[in-house]
Amino acid sequence: MAMSALTLAIAWLLLPFLAAFSAALLPRLARPLALVCVLTTLAWGVWASLPGRQVLFELIGSLGVQLQLDAVAAPFLLLNALVVLAVLVDSWRQPPPGPFLLLLMVLLGGLNSAFLATDLVSLYVALEVVGITAFLLILQSREPRQLWIALRYLLVGNGVMTLFLIGTGLLYLYTGSFRLQSLQELPSGSATLAVGLALVMLGLLTKAGVFLSGLWLPQTHAEAPAQVSALLSGVVVAGGICPLLRLALLLPAQQPVFTWVGLASVLLGLVYALADGDLKRLLAWSTLSQMGFALLNPAAGGLFVLGHGVAKGALFLVAGKVPSRDLSVWGRQPLAPALGLPLLVGALSIAGAPPLLGYYTKASLETLPPTGIPGLPVHVLVWLLPLLMVGTAAVYARLCWLPLGAGWQVPAPGGLLLALVLLLVGLVGPLLPGGSPFPSTAALGKGLAVLAAGAGVEALRRGLARPVTALGFRRRLRLPSLESLVDLLGALAVVGAGLQLLLLRLQPLSAELLAVEAACLG
Amino acid sequence: MPDPFRLLEALVLLTALVGFLGLIWRRNLFLRALALDVMGTGAVALFVLVAARSGLRTPILDRNELIRAASPDLSWADPIPQAVILTAIVIGLSIQALLLVTIARLSRLDPLLETSSFERLLLESSVPASSGRRS
Repeated sequence: MAMSALTLAIAWLLLPFLAAFSAALLPRLARPLALVCVLTTLAWGVWASLPGRQVLFELIGSLGVQLQLDAVAAPFLLLNALVVLAVLVDSWRQPPPGPFLLLLMVLLGGLNSAFLATDLVSLYVALEVVGITAFLLILQSREPRQLWIALRYLLVGNGVMTLFLIGTGLLYLYTGSFRLQSLQELPSGSATLAVGLALVMLGLLTKAGVFLSGLWLPQTHAEAPAQVSALLSGVVVAGGICPLLRLALLLPAQQPVFTWVGLASVLLGLVYALADGDLKRLLAWSTLSQMGFALLNPAAGGLFVLGHGVAKGALFLVAGKVPSRDLSVWGRQPLAPALGLPLLVGALSIAGAPPLLGYYTKASLETLPPTGIPGLPVHVLVWLLPLLMVGTAAVYARLCWLPLGAGWQVPAPGGLLLALVLLLVGLVGPLLPGGSPFPSTAALGKGLAVLAAGAGVEALRRGLARPVTALGFRRRLRLPSLESLVDLLGALAVVGAGLQLLLLRLQPLSAELLAVEAACLG
Repeated sequence: MPDPFRLLEALVLLTALVGFLGLIWRRNLFLRALALDVMGTGAVALFVLVAARSGLRTPILDRNELIRAASPDLSWADPIPQAVILTAIVIGLSIQALLLVTIARLSRLDPLLETSSFERLLLESSVPASSGRRS
């Protein structure tokens, strides 16, 4: 039984690559093949999310590739299947130019491998495959702007993956293995070790679009074609988050690092999302903040990313079809319900409105471990978290000020599909065995209060917009632009150095290290 | 006399660091891509070095070696990092190719390949509300 499951799973992992190759030879088969790849991924995602399912593959012996199909990977597989399905449905009638479907399949396969990989080298290969595919997807039209965005993406992505590789090499020196599990047995206190771990984490944080290392994200996600934005913001960032969550679960002693970086990312994303005037950039900044949330509680992070990714996919698919992305004229023109409804459902779900999937994923995120972290006691965290969620609600309240028009042609079926998933899973989820229970009245009240507070913040922002502009504060209050190439690359250095300091500080210093320090000081 | 392994490790890491600094500070896009390659060289060298830590002898046995293998002082190289880095070399090469193709395309806009002139492409359009409005 175990053997056959193994063979089937390997066949499933290879299928998208074989399908992409066949589709290159027989273009007519591209759409059905892509659909088969998506549906098999969906099936495996459902299978893996049933309780007690876990398959560990060790290919070519104990030193070879190690993949793990388990409960950590399950929500990510579901997310991958759902977002790619929505994009496929959206482009079913008229696929975008170029080898779009082929790249879509490779992306699906690369991400599946990234979600399952539990050794650093397989992870490196999978993430590079994802990176190259995303680069080619961004380059759909060869306008100079997209060329530049894609080049930036590749430069940052490959630079940081090279650092990841160096970190992997340094860790191998100590552990003699590329396994993530072997990191558990590390001796503490070595500087080389902290450097290695920091570089590996930097690579994953950058791929996940977290904090300063994710500064490449807003412009890239905003300038890419709509369907590609949906893929990037919905599921490609999850390729970095999933291994990060695996790391956080394996190394509970390092949780403070994840929590601090996550909180910083949430704040940064919220401030910039609230200040931005462009629909797609607002959504992209919000992705940066939501990925920060996912790191706060690694046990619930996967489900949270699933809820976010499905909603963000719907939002980006719709954002490509709205008449104007400019938020200063947002809401003056009514939107067709086929566009407006997915937009509203997606926005409300991320804000955490009760019957939708996003509400449950947010609630499960709030079940924090009972002990706080050093420097941040748990009672502060308990107050901080709802406050940050109010911020998220305020960001999405900007989008919900939206009159719906008439007309029911469906130009964006993908968005509608994802919105339906959000609603149905939210309604049916509590009835399933093993699903989260129905929320209590108090919990519901709290959720609604967060939404109301968010709407209040938005009303305040609207009220203050005119006097602030009239008094000339707008120019002075403008946030610094952090998105030139130097900023992006410099941010990598800053985050890498910061991670090293944090990791060294958390580990008790060894005698050897103290002696070196004393020698330097003397 | 410092440990030669540590010395080489420091030099290799220095190579990678120099590449990274070049990636940050060079203004010319082509030189940035080149700096990325220097970083990649550092990464490859690190893996080769790691493989050589346990010894330099090729870990392949032939008949004569088998006879001598009983002697305890044979120090084999570690084949795992060497095998692994081959993949990374191939990936690095293909990414360099993609970067150079994209840079060649962009050179039509600015043959000098100054980063700032491409950065302007985005600035022109991304000032919200006040100046440009786009759909």
